[in-house]
Amino acid sequence: MTERRGWTHLLFVLPFLAVYLWLLVYPLLTGVSLSLHRANLFGGATFIGLENYTRLFRDATFRQALGNTVLFVALCVPVLVTVALALALALNRAGRFAAALRSIVFASSVLSVTVMTIVWRQVLTVDGGLLSHVAQGVGARPLAFLSDPHLVLPSLVLITVWWSLGLPMILFLSALQQIPRSVYEAAALDRATPWSVFRHVTLPALTPALLLVIAYECALQFQLFGQPQLLTQGGPNGASRPMVLYIYETGFNHWDVGYAAAASQILFALILVVALVPQLARRLWGRA
Amino acid sequence: MPSAPALEFRNVAKVFDGLRLFDDLSFGIGKGEFFVILGPSGCGKTTLLRLIAGLESVDGGDILLHGAPIHNVAPGDRGVAMVFQDYALYPHMSVADNLAFGLRNARVPADEISRRINDAARALAIEPFLDRKPGKLSGGQQQRVALARALVRRPDLLLMDEPLSSLDPALRLRTRRELAHISKTLAATTVMVTHDQVEAMTLASRIMVMHEHRIQQIGTPLEIFMRPANVFVAQFVGATPMNVLAGNLRQTARGKAGFDLDGTLIATAIKHPGLPESPSWRLGLRAEDITLTAPDAGQIRATVGFVERLGEQSWVHVVLGDGREVVATQTGVSQYSDGDAVGLSFDGARAHLFDADGMAYHADVS
Amino acid sequence: MSAVAIAPINTRGRQTWAWLRLAFCASMLAFVLLPLLWAVYLSFRPNVELMRHAPLKLTGPYTLDNYIELFRNATLFRWFFNSMVVSGASVAGVLVLSSLAGFAFGRLQFPGRNWLYALVLMGLAIPDQSVILTRHQIFSDLHWHNSYLALILPGLSAPLGVFLMTEAFRALPKSLEDAARLDGASTFSTFWHILLPQTVPALASLAIYTFLLSWNDYWWPLISATRPAMFTLTEGMAAAQSNYIEVTGMGVLTAQAVVAGLPVLIIYILFQKHIVGAVTGMVKL
Repeated sequence: MTERRGWTHLLFVLPFLAVYLWLLVYPLLTGVSLSLHRANLFGGATFIGLENYTRLFRDATFRQALGNTVLFVALCVPVLVTVALALALALNRAGRFAAALRSIVFASSVLSVTVMTIVWRQVLTVDGGLLSHVAQGVGARPLAFLSDPHLVLPSLVLITVWWSLGLPMILFLSALQQIPRSVYEAAALDRATPWSVFRHVTLPALTPALLLVIAYECALQFQLFGQPQLLTQGGPNGASRPMVLYIYETGFNHWDVGYAAAASQILFALILVVALVPQLARRLWGRA
Repeated sequence: MPSAPALEFRNVAKVFDGLRLFDDLSFGIGKGEFFVILGPSGCGKTTLLRLIAGLESVDGGDILLHGAPIHNVAPGDRGVAMVFQDYALYPHMSVADNLAFGLRNARVPADEISRRINDAARALAIEPFLDRKPGKLSGGQQQRVALARALVRRPDLLLMDEPLSSLDPALRLRTRRELAHISKTLAATTVMVTHDQVEAMTLASRIMVMHEHRIQQIGTPLEIFMRPANVFVAQFVGATPMNVLAGNLRQTARGKAGFDLDGTLIATAIKHPGLPESPSWRLGLRAEDITLTAPDAGQIRATVGFVERLGEQSWVHVVLGDGREVVATQTGVSQYSDGDAVGLSFDGARAHLFDADGMAYHADVS
Repeated sequence: MSAVAIAPINTRGRQTWAWLRLAFCASMLAFVLLPLLWAVYLSFRPNVELMRHAPLKLTGPYTLDNYIELFRNATLFRWFFNSMVVSGASVAGVLVLSSLAGFAFGRLQFPGRNWLYALVLMGLAIPDQSVILTRHQIFSDLHWHNSYLALILPGLSAPLGVFLMTEAFRALPKSLEDAARLDGASTFSTFWHILLPQTVPALASLAIYTFLLSWNDYWWPLISATRPAMFTLTEGMAAAQSNYIEVTGMGVLTAQAVVAGLPVLIIYILFQKHIVGAVTGMVKL
């Protein structure tokens, strides 16, 4: 145990704590307070209790945004996790091809959302997009991926999977690499079938990473914003407007910041719940 | 012991996580001594060293350096230098910078720093590595750099925490001999912690044996070996643990204690009248004080259990009639095999007695 | 030992799996790469061809016009410069704040340490969206919007760096710090001369990670920097695509995306190891 203690050591954490409290903790707390006020961006706030929240649940646009967001997460996260897991299992080996593919898959995640949407706009657009060319090539009618209300959310899922594959794949790979080779060798000596090796060795070792990735990706994808904001502006008819875009429009286009803050609290609560559920599941399974 | 101790512990206490680690610990170390603290792991010996260095605080009593208490002196100002078990060399600095760091902090003039570094480098034969990073050196070289870093400080007290334990066995023997040589030429007061009794016996001017956070005995290597203070010391020190056998105490005709081992009386050289009352007694005999004979030529019959042949000598484990096991030394390679019947002859004059509390009694030195 | 002990290998099953694996990998490669290659292809196509939706032809014509047009546009350089300033300052700020705090949390004792560290870790669960409205008000009240300071400061409040550096400092051997104390080093000198140099790998990962995060941030610049002269490159790419049809044309827009994407891709290729290090460091949470 170190003998170095005392108030002076607080000086080391003070610079960070100051910024942290000022620009993260304080805005979080004032955000809760703001959600209980009728306020606009230029000052002037009246306390109205929970009125913003009751108004939100009567607001069809908000309800649509909430539904879009939940649907998006429910579509995106399972696909993302499954594909990333399959990639990690396929690429968990030595060799140049596997290493190159790992690098290439992760590369798309380092692009900004604005660059990424420019790239995908040229793929998805009906007017001369890559997929239109392909459709014309096989004699089919080009699909309006970004303006068909039934296709727009799946299209956003597709490009989000493309953009986000790298991180879960890397996390799965690093979990896989922590399984000692000797366990697989012992399983081979015990004449275990490939399926039972996967079921009893690989999968249990991956479970913590799996739960972490699911929680993290749910929290992240609930905050979907840039893709629809840039590609569809939430359209057509709000079919691709997620909650964050709703909050942005309410707060910064309509200047109704108290109302936007209330929407943002609801989203925060949703995120906390989905981030905590896998942790709870882990606790419960750990006990069983 | 010299009159003014270089280091003195006066009733030192240390509390760790609410547990009293040391209570009322007192001992002194003379100037120029090579003082070795010996004990099994977990006995508190490293904590003791860290108390001296000031890396841990004392919770009671005093530690005095040259008669002056050192609680309020910062570790860097105590005139104490330390060689760490893992050497703790600064990985990003060259060897020369490793040696210079402490001197620069102490505001030693630059020319003095380079002189001291050169002196230490010469004494420890690390001159060729002065510009290299520690990671590029072998274990033995790193060990010498760690020692040099301690010595350039010209410490009043040199502390070493298991300095040889990270080396492989062959290198450890060589480095141990180098260390003996260096410590003789430097005559610096040294406190070394080890769990290796051979290191303690060969390097120390005095040894302090510790067990379960208590001092068991302080004495010269010979005293520790010849007159162990209790059963723990007797069994901890020595190539193989001392044989300790329960039995009954008798008085022999000449006023000496005799020991009744299953009807065989072993006459010791220990005066009987001086012994206290004790509900039980045990006899202590080192393996080399038990001789193997033909089955009927010894004092007692036994069967060979198994033999450890070390080359220059062998340890023969024999089983007595009642199943108790005794180890006897044979010089050279033993020809016995398991199950052979043998006789044992005990050198009673070299025997020790232990009372029920484990306190040892020895024959007077003639 | 009998030779029967080893299970017979199901060769046909193995081969099927190998083919499936290969097919999967190849299709993933196409999925990831084709959009990027398509964008690069478009950026070299003449705008006229793109406007009339000419059929896909690999034979050309190709042109550098889009790039030439692009480099005539001074705002792009301004945005690039803004991004460099903001990302560079963010990296420097995060490294300084995180290593100081990480050292204290990882190696020092002080009143309230565990409590404060728990408070910092809680911040990892706070999404940007739940602070951005009130954060915007803080900067409005100070009249700081449309400044570098406003673009840099919020990034310094993220607690991930403190977490990574605390872990890095905790992992260092205690004896190193003890040796420095016996060598008479002060607390700051122990931090600066002895322990900080041992955390260089963690610092490098944190630096790259922070750079990418700051460079790619879209939300906050969109809200805070409303004057085009203060746009970051990422924000500028958004402005460019919202009015590309009227002003620039698809070819120039795609060329812009290529130019804007190249710096991060180069950084990624150069420092791939550190990025993976930062990402996997978060798993320890």
